[in-house]
Amino acid sequence: MSAVADGCLRVPVLLPPVWRALPWRALGAAAGAGLAAAAVARLVPGGPDPAFALVLLRCAAVAFALGLAFLLDDPARHITAAVPTRRAVRTGLRMALAVPLAAVCWTVALLLIPGRTRPPAGDVTLEAAVLAALALTGAAAAVRCTDEPQPGAAVAVTSAAGTALALLLPERWALFVAAGSPDWAVAHQRWAALLALTVAAGTALLPEPLRRGPSLALRPPH
Amino acid sequence: MTTAPTVSASGLTVRYGGRPALDDVSLCLHEGVTGLLGPNGAGKTTLLRVLATAVPADRGSFTVLGHDPGTAAGRQEVRRLLGYLPQTPGFHPDFTAFAFVDYVAILKELTDRAGRHREVRRVLEAVGLSDVRARRIKRLSGGMRQRVALAAALVGDPRLLLLDEPTVGLDPEQRMRFREVIAEAGEGRTVLLSTHQTEDVAMLCHRVIVTAHGRLRFEGTPAELTARAAGRVWSSTERDPGARAGWRTGMGTFRNVGDPPKGAELLEPTLEDGYLLVLDGEPAEVASV
Amino acid sequence: MSTVIDKAPAVAAPVRTGRHSAAAVLALARFEARELLLQIPVFVFFLLYIGHALWKLFLPGDGMDDYPALQSVDRSSQSVLPFLAVAVLMCVNVAALRSRRHGTDGHFDVLVMEPWRRTVAHALSVVPFAAVTALVVAVQFGRAALKPGAAGHGSPAELAVGPLVVLLAGVLGVLIARLCPSIVGGPLFIVVGFATFLTASVVTGEKEHWLNWLYPVVSENGADPIPSDLLGRPAAWHALYLLGLTALLLCAAALVSGGRTRLLKALTVVALGATAAGIAGQSPGHEARLTAARTQVNRTPGRFQSCVVHGRSTYCSFPEWTGWRDDWARVADRVQRLAGGGAGGERLTIRQRIPLIYDLSSDAALTPLSTPGEVTVGTRWGGSRVPEFAVGVASVLVAGDEQAVSRVCDARVITVMWLALAAQDDPAAAFRAVRLDDSTAGSALALAPTEPVPMSAEQTRIVRELLRQPRYSVTARVKAHWTELTSPKTSEARVAELLGVPGAADGARNGSGKGADEGAWCQQ
Repeated sequence: MSAVADGCLRVPVLLPPVWRALPWRALGAAAGAGLAAAAVARLVPGGPDPAFALVLLRCAAVAFALGLAFLLDDPARHITAAVPTRRAVRTGLRMALAVPLAAVCWTVALLLIPGRTRPPAGDVTLEAAVLAALALTGAAAAVRCTDEPQPGAAVAVTSAAGTALALLLPERWALFVAAGSPDWAVAHQRWAALLALTVAAGTALLPEPLRRGPSLALRPPH
Repeated sequence: MTTAPTVSASGLTVRYGGRPALDDVSLCLHEGVTGLLGPNGAGKTTLLRVLATAVPADRGSFTVLGHDPGTAAGRQEVRRLLGYLPQTPGFHPDFTAFAFVDYVAILKELTDRAGRHREVRRVLEAVGLSDVRARRIKRLSGGMRQRVALAAALVGDPRLLLLDEPTVGLDPEQRMRFREVIAEAGEGRTVLLSTHQTEDVAMLCHRVIVTAHGRLRFEGTPAELTARAAGRVWSSTERDPGARAGWRTGMGTFRNVGDPPKGAELLEPTLEDGYLLVLDGEPAEVASV
Repeated sequence: MSTVIDKAPAVAAPVRTGRHSAAAVLALARFEARELLLQIPVFVFFLLYIGHALWKLFLPGDGMDDYPALQSVDRSSQSVLPFLAVAVLMCVNVAALRSRRHGTDGHFDVLVMEPWRRTVAHALSVVPFAAVTALVVAVQFGRAALKPGAAGHGSPAELAVGPLVVLLAGVLGVLIARLCPSIVGGPLFIVVGFATFLTASVVTGEKEHWLNWLYPVVSENGADPIPSDLLGRPAAWHALYLLGLTALLLCAAALVSGGRTRLLKALTVVALGATAAGIAGQSPGHEARLTAARTQVNRTPGRFQSCVVHGRSTYCSFPEWTGWRDDWARVADRVQRLAGGGAGGERLTIRQRIPLIYDLSSDAALTPLSTPGEVTVGTRWGGSRVPEFAVGVASVLVAGDEQAVSRVCDARVITVMWLALAAQDDPAAAFRAVRLDDSTAGSALALAPTEPVPMSAEQTRIVRELLRQPRYSVTARVKAHWTELTSPKTSEARVAELLGVPGAADGARNGSGKGADEGAWCQQ
């Protein structure tokens, strides 16, 4: 019980250094790129049509997710690995700091799309949340399965490639469906299921394992 | 030394933000292993980086076997003769030891595939890594990585080998092996070995250069450096305030270097004593270039 | 205690190998290509690409691809390329940044190979992947071209787009790495680049021909094949543009990395010239001239065709499709053999036609012909197009001309459909294939080369029943009652009775006569 209380007490003390240790360049670049993609909607004379607005929002969501893939990059990982503050706490703190920022960026991106052409906000937010969760889970998996202090690049490239792969899915499993498509609702049920799975996997990956796992023969981009 | 020097440098000067890292350094390097001794910040790494053509000197020039790196063509020729082990060599952790050295060999323009692979196997064997050559670098110990870096420097049979503190972080056994490899490399080649370890120099080098504050303080043989301390090392029961340097030994007595008082119990000098004396403001005694 | 030091093994003398600058770049490119293949995104996407190609090659098809029009097949090889390109771009970008990420830059920069030649090697590492793409494209096209039913001409420039796009992606990845030496650069570039491209096309509209053709891949799929000289695709200029752009970006990357040799500068100038020439060549749209030519071919196809007489009928096709006339004749003859009255001996003219299209990605329908005895055939063949053509032939045999067919909303549909389907090898499968919704019950549209034929639920039922009966007995009845069967006044019940199909009353009667839906179709 005292350990938990101790952990809770430590969190406010940890916040400033964790804040400073966030990979700001990658996060900033991704946020900038995502907001720029959404801001494009304001450049289109007469406003974008709904299909185009949807694509722009998806671009923004992918950009934000790519930034979040770098969230767990920690050049000092080999030093911070051996401290008593658990990995789950350290990682959780990073996420707790970054996720609200990402949410703010996403809200701005949504507001940049004119209201009459904006796709259903809840549904695209679900898509963005899944992409972000996949990137974060990828980062957590990379931290868990490798010794790499900065696995973000590999996670980002794999996430981007995975997104491209998702575009190739056959119609009956499609995720990225067109605005106004009859499959919209079904596709978003798939998104919701994916979110649940991703969050569950991500949560399971957070704690530090006591034993080593298997390693890959193929390698992520290095 | 009667043979033509491999490297002859004159007036090398490099400044970082007005502070001289190298200050008018002139030297000649001949075949064999030359040790480069000096404290941290003495300009050892800068000198090696200049000779390795990694940074150009602000003033002064040098040639390697007659090639002037001041021209683009000359620099290419120098690089063809060069093997360089930087102070903090980077590694591609996902490459195997073999792939990494092979990669460096390609960058050294060893193009014949079969011949290059034989050469890579040869240097890996020379540094004692034959057994782990298929292992990824991220799975190798620190000492093994250091040996991979040495193999990368050795590959392609360079005429000039510049080694920047290669023995840092090695255990005694690994260091012995390293010395053996370097000694072997020094046969028929010119090796400049930057180090903090006076034993390395004592055991390996036929010449030694001491730098401090960017200037050469000494150039000669290890014996000459040791001889600088002849009659200037003594033992006492108390720290001698007149000594240039002194430290407590494991026996409870103090070993002092400097000008001994009368009747002092003189000790056999070592290379380290000579080095300390040279560092402590003894006038530079540099062979004329 | 003494430490036993292994004696260093006796090591062989240094190996002397040749040193050549260009060869070293190629050796490094080869090394990097192997590394690239082991990267998950590249590996997965190429595996998918090759797997998809093999699957298409070896899986027995439904006959739809047995008669490829090569001027469309060459273009169709370009559709999956953007995905390959994305994977290649990102992975080459990461590979080009590897030295920087792992701090080996400082060391490698003093090695013999200068940074700019390392940059070139990274770009060249994509060549094997471009070669694989070229091989896959060549095999796909070669397989289509070798099919006995192949028609038309492919364009080597269209086929070259695939490998060139892969090369371009790799070079772009290297250039991004040199301009923005941060690992987040590559993926973000793709997202922002995609949004920018999309915005440019939305802002300027898709009608901007010159802007459209600045895109690496201009696939324009959708329309039926048209004669090669009406395509209006500046494919050769576009290939030159891609080649020039690839070389130009490569030169730019090398220049950014510090390359200053005379050869490099000369190449940059040449590449710039090639890119400019490519853009200049592909930019003029010629839309008006092209539309005029297409309109002419659409309105008066006969002027551009040659005809041949097979049996009673004449078959006219565009020069690139002459090989299909025998297949058309076989189908038309079989349908005609089933018809009775004068129709069995009628001299038909089978006329190949193309719809009037303004761009190659929009599908347009063919308007029915008003000339009696003239039947339209399109530029596709095989699979369901065979029964569709048979429906066209049967309609003209029953109604006289194609425009009259569009007014057939009565029991003659049964005769038309039976004639068309009974002439097929597998009438049941053809029945399903020819109907728009692939159904065999209820009302649906049956496709034909021009206007579709609306079938009511009852007509569908009767045709289905007829197809179950032996062909010879139905044929005899059709021939015997031909006049009544082809009269618009004959009721469905009467047709069913004449052809020996029991009335729907004893089955589940689900809306006999015209239901609400088919009524709507027929009033159009």
